[in-house]
Amino acid sequence: MLLREVEYARPASLAEALATLGEHDGARALAGGQTLINVMKARAASPDVLVDLNGLDELKGIELGPDGTLSIGPMATYTDLVESAEAKARPILGEVCNQIADVQVRNRGTIGGNACSNDPTNHLPPLLVAIGARMTIAGAGGAERTVSAEEFFLGVYLTAVGPGELLTRITIPPGKSDGFAAVTLGVDGTCIVNAAASLNGSLRVALGCVDATPVLVQPPSDGEDAVRSAVRGAGLLPPGDVHASSEYRSHLAEVLAVRAARQASERAGG
Amino acid sequence: MSSTTIAPERVEVQAPQEQWQGQNVPRKEDKRLVQGEGVFVDDVKRHGMGYVFFVRSPYAHAHITSIDVSRAEAIKGVYGTLTGEEVAALTDPFFQLSTPPGAHLKDYALAVGKVRYVGEAVVAVVAETRDLARDASELVEVEYEALPAVADGRTALDAETPVLHEDSGSNLMWEGVYEWGDLDAAFAEADRVVKIKELHFHRFNSTPLETDGALAEYNRGTGQWTIHTNNQFPGFAAIMMGPALRCGLDKLRFVTQDIGGGFGNKITSHPQLVACCLLARKLRRPIQWTEWRTDFHLSMSHGNERWFQDTEVAVKDDGTLLGFRTKALDDAGAWLRYEPLGGVIWAQVTPGMYRWRHIRLDFAQVATNKAPVSPNRGYSRMQHLWFTERVIDIVAHELGLDPVEVRKRNYIRADEMPYETPNGCIYDSGDYARMLDVALELVGWERLEERRREAESRGRLLGAGIGSTLDSGTNNFGQSRLINPELQFSGNNEVATVKLDLFGEIVVTLGTTPQGQGHETTASQVVADILGCSIDDVHVRAGHDSYWNSHAGFSGTYASQFAVTGLSAVKGATELLAAEIKKLGSVILGGVPEEALELAEGTVRIKDNPEAALPFMACGAIINANNAGLPEDLGVTLNCRYVYRPPFEVPDVERRYGNLTLTYAAQVHAAVVEIDPETGYYEIVDYAAVDDCGKRIHPQIVEGQVMGATAQALGAAVHESYEYDEDGNLLTPNFYDYHVPHALDMPPIRTGYIESASPFTPLGTKGMGEGGGAGIHAVCAAVQDALRGHGDAIVYDSHNPYRRVWELLQHPERSRELVEVGAA
Amino acid sequence: MAADVASSRAIAVTINGNVYEREVEARKLLIHFIRDDLDLTGSHIGCDTGNCGACSVIVDGTLVKSCMMLAVQADGASIETVEGLAEGDELTALQQAFSDHHALQCGYCTPGMLMSATALLRENPSPSEPEIRKALQGNICRCTGYWNIFEAVKAAAGQGAG
Repeated sequence: MLLREVEYARPASLAEALATLGEHDGARALAGGQTLINVMKARAASPDVLVDLNGLDELKGIELGPDGTLSIGPMATYTDLVESAEAKARPILGEVCNQIADVQVRNRGTIGGNACSNDPTNHLPPLLVAIGARMTIAGAGGAERTVSAEEFFLGVYLTAVGPGELLTRITIPPGKSDGFAAVTLGVDGTCIVNAAASLNGSLRVALGCVDATPVLVQPPSDGEDAVRSAVRGAGLLPPGDVHASSEYRSHLAEVLAVRAARQASERAGG
Repeated sequence: MSSTTIAPERVEVQAPQEQWQGQNVPRKEDKRLVQGEGVFVDDVKRHGMGYVFFVRSPYAHAHITSIDVSRAEAIKGVYGTLTGEEVAALTDPFFQLSTPPGAHLKDYALAVGKVRYVGEAVVAVVAETRDLARDASELVEVEYEALPAVADGRTALDAETPVLHEDSGSNLMWEGVYEWGDLDAAFAEADRVVKIKELHFHRFNSTPLETDGALAEYNRGTGQWTIHTNNQFPGFAAIMMGPALRCGLDKLRFVTQDIGGGFGNKITSHPQLVACCLLARKLRRPIQWTEWRTDFHLSMSHGNERWFQDTEVAVKDDGTLLGFRTKALDDAGAWLRYEPLGGVIWAQVTPGMYRWRHIRLDFAQVATNKAPVSPNRGYSRMQHLWFTERVIDIVAHELGLDPVEVRKRNYIRADEMPYETPNGCIYDSGDYARMLDVALELVGWERLEERRREAESRGRLLGAGIGSTLDSGTNNFGQSRLINPELQFSGNNEVATVKLDLFGEIVVTLGTTPQGQGHETTASQVVADILGCSIDDVHVRAGHDSYWNSHAGFSGTYASQFAVTGLSAVKGATELLAAEIKKLGSVILGGVPEEALELAEGTVRIKDNPEAALPFMACGAIINANNAGLPEDLGVTLNCRYVYRPPFEVPDVERRYGNLTLTYAAQVHAAVVEIDPETGYYEIVDYAAVDDCGKRIHPQIVEGQVMGATAQALGAAVHESYEYDEDGNLLTPNFYDYHVPHALDMPPIRTGYIESASPFTPLGTKGMGEGGGAGIHAVCAAVQDALRGHGDAIVYDSHNPYRRVWELLQHPERSRELVEVGAA
Repeated sequence: MAADVASSRAIAVTINGNVYEREVEARKLLIHFIRDDLDLTGSHIGCDTGNCGACSVIVDGTLVKSCMMLAVQADGASIETVEGLAEGDELTALQQAFSDHHALQCGYCTPGMLMSATALLRENPSPSEPEIRKALQGNICRCTGYWNIFEAVKAAAGQGAG
């Protein structure tokens, strides 16, 4: 409702998108817009230029490599990930995407947009951290670098994607032994705390909504005590807000870590 | 199945029927609404209109030290602004219903000199487009000098607490003592006294999906304003606005067609409407106002937040309840926009559904730096009924009694109806125990223990609870005198006109402002039954227009009354019309006595000779266009207006005694919850809603109201709350943080009903639609039941989000400290 | 090479079969374009955070909230709104079922609700109740408690309609 004035560009290629972003200081990429447009409605953010990525086929697509590695274009929508046959190679992805918001949002919201907004209440940042996703970022002139998901998320609404850069690919290693658990307002409302786990090799548990970025813990085993003690060892000091006190969030983090780890472990046949 | 109704089954009807009333006929409103052809306030446009955007206070409490609109007004396309200073010069403060100290408040359309809650409108900016108005609003410079905020009503009267309204001298707005019966005798007779230190009913409202809005036009030639608005009680808006704008009420024309939900929350938009009127006159153009969702949450019509403190309940060992005393502390927010009426409305249901006769309630209402409260579905009764239900379940819990037994022992009995309450209200009819039986059966109460064990085997705590409530409908506005004896209101009324037009069309005009209640449909059922025609022959005008002259002082759609006041007015007007048609028929059919005539199949005809019939079309044509030769003294216009007035007396102000509402619909709900004890997360796994609203004109519409009210109650019980921080910032200003139920949140529901016709209303109907508070009571009781044996916590708040349930499990002793059982 | 940047654009959209060509500001949300510029007031606004779904429309076959995209992003698109459902006066089976089952009271959420249900039935002509609930999770109704809406969608699905 009633955004501030903004300029708009619809680049025809990734190169053009990068060039446009590079050319305008206050430019921001517009992916699915399911977060950014809301923020703009509140006039909490007001980019000078929106660079619309929706026409760029280069940023779409979900490919499954011969070794089971998934290569996902950041403009793949949640619905794409829910429905894609390839994405089922890592089942947790579609399962979690199917829990994001609602049909309309899943139809337009993208995995890249979710990651790049890094709203602490989003489901995907902890999931990407837990499953060991790698994020490829392109800068001016198309130079690429790849960072781990842990390195990608830097702060609330802040990621490794700098000015003039774009997230161009998300690479997800093979694995099926993953878990996810969340407490939300109602069945599908705002997230209070979430936890994602992956037991493909060693156990990785990432907790969301307890800090500015997902908190990764790596318990030595998937036993309940080990997971609980690892979460306690992380020294969480979650923010308290209208939905949860800091104490309640810490407690939920522990419970949900155990549940996510248990699901991962069950899928590992453990 | 997500929903089940117990008998009788729905009937799909085809005309003609013996009786249209009682049938689920297709709603007349639906065809336009399912095609997107409804006309809601934001759909109305005018050439050259300006869009208004309100600059709102970022502070809960602050002096306004300066306002500069020059930069905003300098923008091309900005038509102008309005400030509080102008408002104070051009209008008088809104009339206050309260006695002092609340009477001293000076409430205007915009903040004057001071802001008193976050979101209070400070300046209005009007521009060519919506976007530009908002752009310009960002250039309005307002300087504030912040003051400490009053964010907890319980501290409002403390000596060190800042005062919101210097004019009233303190934060006390209104107080009154209500006492009936003999409290000393009751406590002397009691075996036990259950003391409850504090119970809290939280702040929420019904968040109609359409927010408030208006399009105000000013006719300079006549001095009249036309206000297209979704205000749901134009009669009240008019008496607030006329004196403020210094004009007669006929200068204010209110027009609505479709309204996107109201639930009481659209009664008090008069400040914004006044601002729009002033701007329309000042800027010489139509002014369009759309309230956005965040604006609504920040500023519009929160439900009354109320504490019940130092409650004492006199009980016999067998669970017989004798009486109670309590102190009710009501947080009105920053302004009295409809308050302090909440200070008496609860008294319509003083004993709840129970037979106790000795009751004392000390009521005090305070001002805080929060959004003003105003009516919300179940207004003020819901708070009180929640309290009585909590008392029942806490008493049962503490004395080890069965809540079902305690209810049955204490419910007012069917054979006691009509029942006079300790404060003189007359419960018209009902059978609460039978309703409870139906509810228990629907929810599978007899299998509870088995289900509890089964749930426990899955690590879940299962509990069940009952919520019984009354939906008192058709107000006696004389109750306002219990707040302020000087007020010149009493009784109630509603108007309808029914006419037979030139081509035989039956045209009905209502005084009401429906927001989804299907008035066009149910009015047509009543008319068709009396006139002996099809509902398809009855045209009920959509919406409300005060120029139709079919409204009365209390017209509007609020407070559970259409089935009584609205339809009784329709019935009265239609009977007048029927008599006129017969009178005309008697003349035209050759002097046949009127008693020998009947209305049937769209004609007036001779009973014994149906061939001798005069079609309505002929009647309309004769009176309107072909009337030469009619007897001079015929006295037939075929255009009949009827005012229905319920049979009320003025209450006794001294004793605070009298009949405050005409009808008492009842609801008994039962909920089963399952709690995840590790997280406090819980689900409602079974739910039953049993309703009794007397005779049902359109059962499907009644059931729809029951379901909708239930959904709102469940949302309020678990998620919905207007929470403020200590600085007075609203923490739930949108649907992200104020979580209303979504499709996936809905539990399975079973509905049932009984019909106890009201002996006091022309159609045997009762007002209904507000009984859903039952859901809050039932969920509270179910959660407390689930925690039994797991710390035995007491549910002390009407709002129990997961975090609170977790806290109840972690620290049951904190809630248990609130309760004490002693010998009398 | 950088793309052209502009604060407004000429766009052409097809809505319910009619082509509309307009110059729009880049900042204008699709819902404001539909309601204010084109006067198609059937689609509604119930929130300002993309939660309520009253503005749901179908864009190139995909259900979206029209408050969560810009009008300029709809350039070249084919859009369906509630006004396009009925054939003249002939209601769709779904619209009829909403009336039959009293799935609407105030009718404000109804246009968005109908678009979501229409999109569901196109993809899944015989949805289960959980599938219906999931399909409508993004549409808030404050009047009905949703139960009658589920019944209406089930009934319409039984008639093989969309």
